[in-house]
Amino acid sequence: MFGKKRKMERPDAVVRRLMDIAGEKEVLYKKEDLISYECDGYTMSKGMPKAVVFVQNTEQVSNVVKYLNREEIPYIARGAGTGLSGGATPLGGEVLISLVKMKKMLELDLENRKAVVEPGYINLKLTQSISDKGYYYAPDPSSQYACTIGGNVAENSGGAHCLKYGVTTNHILGLEIVLPSGEIVELGEEGVPDRPGYDLLGLLTGSEGTLGIVTKVTVKVLKNPEGKKTVLAYYDDIDDASQAVSDIIAAGIIPAALEMMDEIAIEGVESAAYPVGHPRDIAAFLLIEVDGIAAGIDDQIEEILAVCKKNNVREVKVAKDEAERGLWWANRKMGFGAMGAISPDYLVQDGVIPRTRLPEVLAKITEISRKYELRIANIFHAGDGNLHPLILYDASVPGESERASKAGSECLKVCADVGGSITGEHGVGIEKSAEMRFVFTDEEMAAQTNVRNVFNPEDLLNPGKLFPQPGRCVEITQGDMGTGTVSQGKQSAGT
Amino acid sequence: MFYSNKEDVLPAEQVKAGNDSSHLLGNSGVQTMEAYSEKDISSVLAYAHENDKTVHVISGGTKRGFGGEMEQADILLSLANCKGIVEHSAGDLTMTVRPGTTLKEITDELSKSGQFAALDTPWPEMATIGGIISANDSGPKRLLYGSARDLVIGLRVVYPDGRVIRTGGKVVKNVAGYDMNKLFIGAMGTLGVISEITIKLRPLPKYEGLSLLHFSRGKEKEIHNFSVRLLDSMMEPAALELLTPSLAERLIGKSSYTLAIAFEDREKAVFEQEKWIKENLPDGVEHTILHQENAKKWWEGFRHIGPNGYNDENNEATSRAALKIGSNNLDVLVHLQAAEQLAEAHHVDAAGHGGLGHGISRIFVRGLPEDIVSYIHALRAKAEEKLGYAVCTHLPFALRETVSVWGDQPGHFALLEGIKQTNDPKRILNRKRFVGGI
Repeated sequence: MFGKKRKMERPDAVVRRLMDIAGEKEVLYKKEDLISYECDGYTMSKGMPKAVVFVQNTEQVSNVVKYLNREEIPYIARGAGTGLSGGATPLGGEVLISLVKMKKMLELDLENRKAVVEPGYINLKLTQSISDKGYYYAPDPSSQYACTIGGNVAENSGGAHCLKYGVTTNHILGLEIVLPSGEIVELGEEGVPDRPGYDLLGLLTGSEGTLGIVTKVTVKVLKNPEGKKTVLAYYDDIDDASQAVSDIIAAGIIPAALEMMDEIAIEGVESAAYPVGHPRDIAAFLLIEVDGIAAGIDDQIEEILAVCKKNNVREVKVAKDEAERGLWWANRKMGFGAMGAISPDYLVQDGVIPRTRLPEVLAKITEISRKYELRIANIFHAGDGNLHPLILYDASVPGESERASKAGSECLKVCADVGGSITGEHGVGIEKSAEMRFVFTDEEMAAQTNVRNVFNPEDLLNPGKLFPQPGRCVEITQGDMGTGTVSQGKQSAGT
Repeated sequence: MFYSNKEDVLPAEQVKAGNDSSHLLGNSGVQTMEAYSEKDISSVLAYAHENDKTVHVISGGTKRGFGGEMEQADILLSLANCKGIVEHSAGDLTMTVRPGTTLKEITDELSKSGQFAALDTPWPEMATIGGIISANDSGPKRLLYGSARDLVIGLRVVYPDGRVIRTGGKVVKNVAGYDMNKLFIGAMGTLGVISEITIKLRPLPKYEGLSLLHFSRGKEKEIHNFSVRLLDSMMEPAALELLTPSLAERLIGKSSYTLAIAFEDREKAVFEQEKWIKENLPDGVEHTILHQENAKKWWEGFRHIGPNGYNDENNEATSRAALKIGSNNLDVLVHLQAAEQLAEAHHVDAAGHGGLGHGISRIFVRGLPEDIVSYIHALRAKAEEKLGYAVCTHLPFALRETVSVWGDQPGHFALLEGIKQTNDPKRILNRKRFVGGI
């Protein structure tokens, strides 16, 4: 579409009205400006928005929403667009309400351990802005250098350190939201816990932007742990590594993080920006971090080392300084992106399993890899059973995208079948809406959509996400889902 | 499912005529139906739904005085015998349990595997897990371990029409669909009856210590300063709970504001933190340290101080009440002081405690009914002045007609009403038990 000459695009009535509300320069509506908003971090599905409006305050959000409601135009709230399930991806024709310009910290109250930020505030910036006082914000998704707190709330984001400290929902004390009616409501006012009423804070967190638009967030901030030690353990056998994970937990240790990577994942991270020099011939490594009161850490490290040795570790070492620890983590957090170094395309999945079922699930994922003739790298938050199988494929090879999609879906089925979940932290979005049927009955999903209707009765706010669309099921062929421009002719879900 | 007559709902031995229609705490039923299983719960609710019968839900009965403006429903559905551990997956640190299981039963079972459910709520041998979660009860150690909303990972819920809906799952991390678990935690049983609960567990702490700091009268400012310093340090107390002098008198025999600071960690880490306390102890503050069994015993006593649904005095002259105040963490001191001062002005006995790291205070009151009413109004006004709230977690039924249990409706009440309407359109479940008469 770049090759053709197009007519001068002029703002239509909708765009003009959005400009009236937010300012002329705050609305994108030309095709070339909209291209980069066709999808979020999940690139297998794309759709062209009608416009993007950059709002600067709650009142503008409310006015935009009221107007779009009146005109019955669907709309989506968007932060940094780092989401991995298509939650902020248009199906086609929606107005994107971008919150990236609402990025102020409004209040910091360290005595009461809370901060109030606007939704566009960047996750890592929060920690950076309070670290000099010895505080931090716990949820640390790998995209934390870019992703926004508002987006974290929408997705109930996790991260490597949520094994000990919990996910976003455990750190949200209050929200200001704009309902699809345009009404502004406050939940958890002043960050005071347990306010009377149903726990709408908990319901809104992780609702993938389908119940309301978050315009202000009160988060819990934590004091830095006094001590912290990080262990790296190399294994020749992935079952030994899995057993070590279970044994560490069984020893009564809750590490701050307990991560695992398999051989292919290691090949990826070692080819990317932060190579550590991991041996290339190991089956897996564990990255284990313990934090807390310094006096209690050495004992725990000793126990962890003993567990690793008992489980036939090839080599195990403790980070000698902050620089080494930092490198290990940078290497780990590059995990997804690093796949670009060893494969033209990759699809990341996000299943969760009871951690004791790890060996059996890994064996099944290996079978899936063989069946579809695609390499699958595995990066896990092993401590909490959250798997990220990365399915490597080449979109330019006919049929390979579809195979990747099917393999991804099958990995999720394996997780669901052992009593797990289809997503631990990336959300359902567009990608996994069909797979919701792996874990919920129609009746159970109806119980959820009925709740959605209380907030979003016209389903204009982020429509078509999270729940399977009527009449579609997992068996239906790909390409059947979504009405937007489908990039590279493929979909990951719906196959 | 349709039940034309109630004889088909449950076997006869599970149905009894209600004999406590005028129970001091209300929340009774014309008939008591004992559910032994989820299927029983479903049968009772389907019957009630079809026949427009109202249902009160009870289990251990410790929270019978918590909310409810309807003295008697058609059916009192008892879950006390719907109990037992369904599954304990020690390796996954998860457990699935039926609602009528008491917290003590859970604690005893888990301790065999060196694990525990991190809830330190009152009356553990009577209070059931279903009730604790439905009322969102919590104790001082929520500071470190979180509250029910942080522990519950999955539920099975019988909806008012008898449908069984699963929410969440059995894994510790899960964002598939809405986090529907949250709707039922603290909903006072108004949206559905929880028939099975899956919670995250923790390994039992290796070592336990409790530091009790007694601040003499006039040293209140020191409590604030010391707590700020502790919270700003890297110490990790499991509890930082302040007791009013009247409560300290009762529990320890010292009539002074007392900070109960719990450390639960490796032995060395506990000692290190206790060392910090000693080194930072303000002048003139008396200091006691308890370890292991002694600390456990102290907390055991602490968990048996408030009303429990069975220890009200059945006379006109003395009523019991309990309040939960939510506030900014450090306002806890202000509210406990207000609770003490107002008690004198309103001629009631009051004792209480609150967490300086979590913002929840509990006040226990005894006195003449009319004095209790005026006291609650005054204390609530104070809480609201500081942008907090006060909820009456225990009141005789007669007083619940004159004092609002939950305070004013929140600004977003229409959403709460909408959710209730969606789940329970006939309003058969725990009618008027919750905020704004939901």
